[in-house]
Amino acid sequence: MKRCAIIGKTNVGKTLFLINFAEYLGVKSFDVEFIDNEGSKTSEKFIPKTAISRLVDKNPHKTRCIQSIIINVPVGKGKKKIKIIDTSGFIDGIHPNVEVRKAISQTLTTVRDSDIILHIIDASAAKNKDLPSSMGEVDYQIAQFAQLKKGYAILANKMDLSGSSEGFEKIKQEFSGNLIFPISALHKTGFKEVKIFVIHNI
Amino acid sequence: MIDKIDNKMKNEINDHAKIHDMLINGLITTADALTMLTDLDSYKITFEKVSDEEKLEDIMKELDELIGLSKVKNLVKEIQAFSEIQKKREEEKLLAEPQVLHMIFKGNPGTGKTTVARLLGKIFKHIGILEKGHTVEVERADLVGEYIGHTAQKTRDQIKRARGGILFVDEAYSLGRGGEKDFGKEAIDTLVKAMEDYKDDLIVILAGYKDEMDWFLQINPGLRSRFPIQIEFNDYSVDELMQIAKMMAEKRQYRFSPESLLKFEDILQSSMNNMFYNKLGNARLVRNMIEKAIRRQALRLVSQSKISRISREDLLQIKPEDIPIDLSEFGGGH
Repeated sequence: MKRCAIIGKTNVGKTLFLINFAEYLGVKSFDVEFIDNEGSKTSEKFIPKTAISRLVDKNPHKTRCIQSIIINVPVGKGKKKIKIIDTSGFIDGIHPNVEVRKAISQTLTTVRDSDIILHIIDASAAKNKDLPSSMGEVDYQIAQFAQLKKGYAILANKMDLSGSSEGFEKIKQEFSGNLIFPISALHKTGFKEVKIFVIHNI
Repeated sequence: MIDKIDNKMKNEINDHAKIHDMLINGLITTADALTMLTDLDSYKITFEKVSDEEKLEDIMKELDELIGLSKVKNLVKEIQAFSEIQKKREEEKLLAEPQVLHMIFKGNPGTGKTTVARLLGKIFKHIGILEKGHTVEVERADLVGEYIGHTAQKTRDQIKRARGGILFVDEAYSLGRGGEKDFGKEAIDTLVKAMEDYKDDLIVILAGYKDEMDWFLQINPGLRSRFPIQIEFNDYSVDELMQIAKMMAEKRQYRFSPESLLKFEDILQSSMNNMFYNKLGNARLVRNMIEKAIRRQALRLVSQSKISRISREDLLQIKPEDIPIDLSEFGGGH
């Protein structure tokens, strides 16, 4: 089974993308597996609405463990299973909380083990330098690292917010040579291209 | 943040665990960790490629160390060069036809046919001609069945096992025995079809005595063109056999005393006059003689140990009395 990791800075909308993208791919109920930074596993069932209210938060670092779901994706005439993994957000600089640092370390391991990387950047904050979700040093390093992987795409998220078109232009400029899809995880726009990209890589 | 870690320290960071430790302990930023992981992983990728080449060198060395066989060695070099050029041509979008590499090995037993086939499999894997590079060794009984339809099935099973590697058919001429009605013909037909079907994925080598193989090709004229590579494995000269003997003994950590070398050579020389020489098995005869000598040495040492201590030198040395004179048990003289 191929593994697809969703990564990016904190508060760019990784978890919301996971839930809404899974729903877009036809998942009715979520079997979410959680792996905390000590390595212990638990799993829980959700319907999309409760999943959003339980797993998504405006405050940074809501996601402290690796959350993953397995999805059947139609490929050719049959279906293929893919594990989509949501991760803890990256930050520029060093986080004061050791728990968050552990979560980031765990995310890096996940990224190394994944076949496909979806790198989310907040397009609405791309021009801004001060927000936690603004594009930063770590984004450039992700792009560098992802060159070693076969399937890598950047998702410019929050295209529904003001300032996002300028942000999108900036992302295109900074990360030229990479696949970049404009999306809105909230309104489920741009998902078709992402789906094609994922299917192409499994 | 990277200035917290000077270059010397960076060089010492050679595993992922250390990078993660530094990240968790708040010594480096996520971006730093990613940079290091990128360096480490891209280094690993190139390193693995190099070690692949090293292994190929080892196999080529093994081939080079085989005594004689200059034709085979040249052929391998040709094929290697050819496939390299094919790759370059593909890069330039020039026509690059895959080569037909089915072979016929002619020669007496013990002239290195099987050994060479196994090495070829490994080499072809490394230069990207075969996916797996294993060698499946079969003979008539593995291919030919007992009733109608059985043969095609048995042959297909062996072909399936061999896909991605080499199917080595020993004493292949025996498939031509028994005339039109024999099931051997069916096995040949199935083989030929598989060679077409899996031409990018399978190499078939037919092996056997020279005279018998020549006869076999005569009665199956269609085969000759499908096996463009024919190699004759000549009998080894006594000198070559002596070189092989010394190497085999060395590999097993034994040593011939000068007198026993002379005796060994004498026996090989006289075996040439044996009317069953071509059945004695050349290098195989040497191996069997050495193994027998090692057993006889052990027997001698055990009985000697009742009288005196066994020294290291005793354990190493093969004396003339250890060398077997009677070759009849190795397939000659009866």
